[in-house]
Parts: sequence; C-alpha cells; structure tokens
Amino acid sequence: MLSEYLEKLKVAVIEGNAEQAREAAIALKEAGMSPLEIVNAAIKPAMDEMGKRYERLEVFLPDLVLAGEAAQEALNVILPKEGAESLIKAKVVIGTIYGDIHDIGKNIVAAMLSANGYKVIDLGNDVPAEKFVEVAKKESAKIIGISCLLTPSMYYMRDVIKRLEEENLRKNFYVIIGGAAVYPEWAKEIGADGWAKDAERAVELCDMLVEKGEEVPKPIILGEWR
Amino acid sequence: MFNILDKTLTGPPIEKREFEFKLVPKLTKEVLKEFGLEKTYDPNNPINTDLTLAKDFYHAGYELALRLGMFCPDTKRRVIFTDEELKESLRDVPTEVTLGYGKDKVTIRSRVPEDGKPPVAEGSALGLSVSEEYFIPLCMAIAQYKVIDIILAPTLDMINGREIRARTPYETIMGMYEAKYVKEALRRIGRPGMPLHGVEGAPTEYGYFSGFLWGGFEPDRTIGIALIPEPISLPYQILHRTVVNHLIGSPLEAGHMLSIGGYFGPPEGAVVGAVAAQILQVASMFPTVVESTILDARYSVNTNREALWATSTSMQARTLGNKVMNLGITSQISGPCTDMLLYETTTIAIADSVSGVAIEIGTRPTGCRYKNYASGLENKFFAEVLKSSAKHLKLSDANEIVKAILPKYEDKLKNPPKGKSFPECTDLKTLQPAREWLEIYERVWKELEDLGLPRWK
Repeated sequence: MLSEYLEKLKVAVIEGNAEQAREAAIALKEAGMSPLEIVNAAIKPAMDEMGKRYERLEVFLPDLVLAGEAAQEALNVILPKEGAESLIKAKVVIGTIYGDIHDIGKNIVAAMLSANGYKVIDLGNDVPAEKFVEVAKKESAKIIGISCLLTPSMYYMRDVIKRLEEENLRKNFYVIIGGAAVYPEWAKEIGADGWAKDAERAVELCDMLVEKGEEVPKPIILGEWR
Repeated sequence: MFNILDKTLTGPPIEKREFEFKLVPKLTKEVLKEFGLEKTYDPNNPINTDLTLAKDFYHAGYELALRLGMFCPDTKRRVIFTDEELKESLRDVPTEVTLGYGKDKVTIRSRVPEDGKPPVAEGSALGLSVSEEYFIPLCMAIAQYKVIDIILAPTLDMINGREIRARTPYETIMGMYEAKYVKEALRRIGRPGMPLHGVEGAPTEYGYFSGFLWGGFEPDRTIGIALIPEPISLPYQILHRTVVNHLIGSPLEAGHMLSIGGYFGPPEGAVVGAVAAQILQVASMFPTVVESTILDARYSVNTNREALWATSTSMQARTLGNKVMNLGITSQISGPCTDMLLYETTTIAIADSVSGVAIEIGTRPTGCRYKNYASGLENKFFAEVLKSSAKHLKLSDANEIVKAILPKYEDKLKNPPKGKSFPECTDLKTLQPAREWLEIYERVWKELEDLGLPRWK
C-alpha cells in the first residue's frame, strides 16, 4: 500500500498535479511514514526525473514549474510546522536585476532549484538592489541569486553586494550571478560567491555553497569556457 | 495605437504566472493537436523542405494568436484581437522600405521561400558588450565590407570611463553617443549614408529616446527597435518606444525571442509560437519589419538541430502566410577566429535565407558572453553566405549542406571554443583580419564551395 501511494505521489509531481500530490501525501502521512522517507522515496526522485527529462526536451519550463508547485503542495502536508526548514536544502531569493525585464532564464533556474529541494522566493524582474537584501533578510535566506541579460543592468549586481557589506550582512548570504550579460570575471570583480553558465550548473553551484561554502575558495565558477 | 492602448486597460484580467505557465502551454498544445502538428520535428532534415507542413503551421500559429492574445504586465490584462483586426493589420503591412542616403541607400523587400533575390545583410555584434576604445574600430571593421548593407552597433560598455547604468542619466547619454559613434565610424570608412538600426544598447526608454533626438539616429535612415519579452508580453516600456517611433515617422522593428524548451515547449510549439508572435506584433505595434526568433534554451543559440528546423519551418510559415518583412538573427555560441563560428553562421544564415527572410542580422559570437569577442570577418562571411544561398540554393540543397555542416560542431555546443577578441584577431591599424583568422575563413569557404555553395561575388 505504501509503495502504491509513493508511486502515486511521484507520478503526481511529475505530472504537476498539485491536488493528487496532496492526496497521496496525506495518505502517506497517515500511514506513518516520516517526511524524510517520503521526500527521499518519492518527491526527490520525481524532481530528479524532471530535470533529466527537461535536458532531453521531453518536458518544458511550464512542466518544471508545475512539478515544483505539486512538490511544494506535498511538502506542505508532510512537513511538521516546526522543523520543516531542516528538510529543505536552503532558501534562495532570486530575481532579474533592475532595468532588465527578461526573465525566462531566471524562471528556468528557479524551477530547477525548486525541483532540487530549494525553497525559492522569486522576486520577478526589474528588481532593485535593496529589494534583494530586504527580502533575503526577512526570509532568512541562505542564497541570493541575481540574473541579468543586459549589460547596463549588470552594474546593479554590485550594489546588492555593496549593500550587504554596508549593513555588515555579507557573511550571512551567498550571492550568485548568471545570465547572458555576466561572465566569470565579473563575478570576481564584484565579489560574488559564484557564477554558473546554465540552470543545471546553477543547482550544482547552490549545492556546493550549501554543503561546503565555508571551505571552498570563491567565487566558484561552474561552466567556464575551455 | 489608441485602440491598442485602450485594450491594455480593458482586456480580461489575468495574473502573469497564469498567462505564462498555464495559458500559453495549454493553448499551444491545443492548436498543435488540432492541426495534427505534434511530433512533426524531423531531426534528420534540419531545414524543412515540406511547404505544406509550413502552411499548416501558419494556420495553427494564426489560431494561437487569435486565442491567446498578448499579456500587458503593467495592467495585468490580456490584449486580445478579433479575427478581423488581425486580418486587417496583416493586410496593411508595408512590403518594401528604403533607408539611408545616396549610394549607401538600401531597400528591404518581403521575400518568400526559395526567393532568388538576396535578403538585406545587416552587420553587427548584436548584444555584445564592446569597450569604448574598440567601438568605432569594430563598427568600421564591419562596415568596410560592401556586402554588408546596414549596420547595428554593438553595446557600448562605458562612456568616458563611466559605467552606463540602466535607467540613469548615464544611459540617456549613451543613447546619443551610440548614434554619434556609429555614424562617425561610417564617415571614416567612407559609407556615410549607410542605413542604421538602433538604439541597440538602451535597456530602457531613457537611452532609447535620447538616441532619436536631433543629431542622433535620423528617422528616415534608422530602424527603431522594440523587443517584447517572452512569452508575447506587451509592456508599456516597449509601447513607449513604439509610440515614439510612429510619432517621428521612423521605421520600426518589432521583435520577440522565443526559446525551445520554454513556455511554448518543443520545437513544434516554438514554430507556432513564433508565427503567433509575428502576427500579434503586427497587430499591436504596426512595425515595418518583424523579428520572431527561435533559440534553444539549453544552449542559447539558434544554430543547433532543433532550432534550425524550427527556424526554417517558422520562417517559411510566416513568409508564405503573409507579406510581412521578416527580420532574422544569427545567434552563435563560439567565438571569433574559430571554424565553429563560421560553421554555426553558415547553418543559420542558410536556414533563414532560403526560407524567405527579408533582412538578417549578423553575428553574435560567444552568445554575447565575452566583451570584445567580435570582428568584421565573421560578418563578411555571414553576408556572403546569406546572399549566395538565396541566389543558388533550393530548400533541398540547403538541407543537404546544413546536414553536412552540423556534425562538425553540434557536439561542442555545450562546451564551445571562446576564440579570440577583436584586438587579438584584427590588425587595428588596417582593420584587416589576422592571418590565422583569414586562413580559417578561406578554408571554410572552400568547404562550402565543395558542398555546392558558390562564393558570393
């Protein structure tokens, strides 16, 4: 019976069906399965599968987003009100920087992060530097992810880091950057903690920062040209 | 325009996420199914040769445009058009425009698939950031080649050593400087009347409007730029530009970039999405030329197999379905002074040219990731391939050449060569390409000749 519900939950997440994900999660919770077991046996494999299918162009951005929402619905059911934070990898505040209204790249990264166990707070596009800092503080986020497609907007990325420094908060957050306008040298120049070439590597970057961010030299550059 | 502006205030309300993540994919899947176009992507034939299929895609795209409309993020409303409004706007599109002065004057015309008349070739390093010291030399290096008809400047990196920050007076200054710098480059290279396209480096209205002030981009010589964000949004920021261009009487490019793997899904979804975007841009912005580019979200290029198929199919659909002058772009991921950049340029330039593009913008080396990684030579190569393939190739010939070239680079798209920067691959005194770069150019052209594409004379 448990395996049947686990399979139902996995399928519901893959299909982005939030209602069915919720129902399966309730059944598993009532059957006495622990949240960690449910995450490892159904939700995580479902999200891993979605990542692989996206790379093979078998599913697309909206599917990733809906799968992330279904997974979130299941998590809301199974996670205890207290201690829920321990089951997510980290909170990520993400957005496209001020002056830039492009957001498909950021949306793909946000969906992939959600699919991989991160709680993502998406600020949208054209986001002022101070907003990143304000929300990251309020949400006790671990990572601030900033996207940028247009060169005249990328300078505002530096303002996010400067503001964190001015408020003596720099050590509280990892700041990662990406998007067509920015490159590894820019990450070094502005003092960011990481740069990733694509969404897949952005997830890898966040994993590295969360797991051993204190130990590794920064910025971490993933996907550098040969 | 008043009717359009009114629609942004009166259309049915919808949340951004609902439009992007639910409505767009739902309606796209619906029309693909209704028109029997699911699973029609053919990886073995990257250039579509089936014009009946292209026509079916046009009808499906038209239906998508009708059902979906656009999304205005400022008012959170859908901008929906009736069948009559779409048809009327398509009936009224311009099919020819002449730009520039004197002997540098150029005429852009509507084309169809296998149209023997070559499209207009626009030299550029579109979206690529370039240092102030190299800005004029790079524009000169591109414009020195007569095969290039019109120029779009790259993105100016700084002004007098200052960062050009979006939505600040620095950006306002930049708009005018871009115009002055590119015109100075054309004066120095002896093509003072060459048509222009701008303001390329302006992320917001500030730089854009200043570029069109007196002394900047002349309205009778310049195509303005109003690019709407994916998926088919119609923000006021872009409508501001549209309104200004119409008020000053300047031709306008309405543009949209769409990603395979994104909101519209698979390659087939991208094709109908691009057709719908073209039709909706005509209905909402009354442009002179329309860009409806398809990229692949996984690589940020339009030179991989899926993007080439989707681009050729959608360009054919659009050029067969209406008389709009379509603008295409070539978007590569490898850098200058590599054969991969020329191979990538070949496949997309051929795809658009034989499929009926009216005007094509040249190269975007390294996907614009690296400052100063552009040169004149890849632009010359692009324009030559574009024009030669229009004159000499049928769709089936184009498909065979692309099939031969694609395997030379497609496994490197995830890890492409960075190549060399402008000063590394150009003699800055003469603006001629370095010997190494010229040898690569000659070798690749020889390969193309052997495959049946004659050199452009």
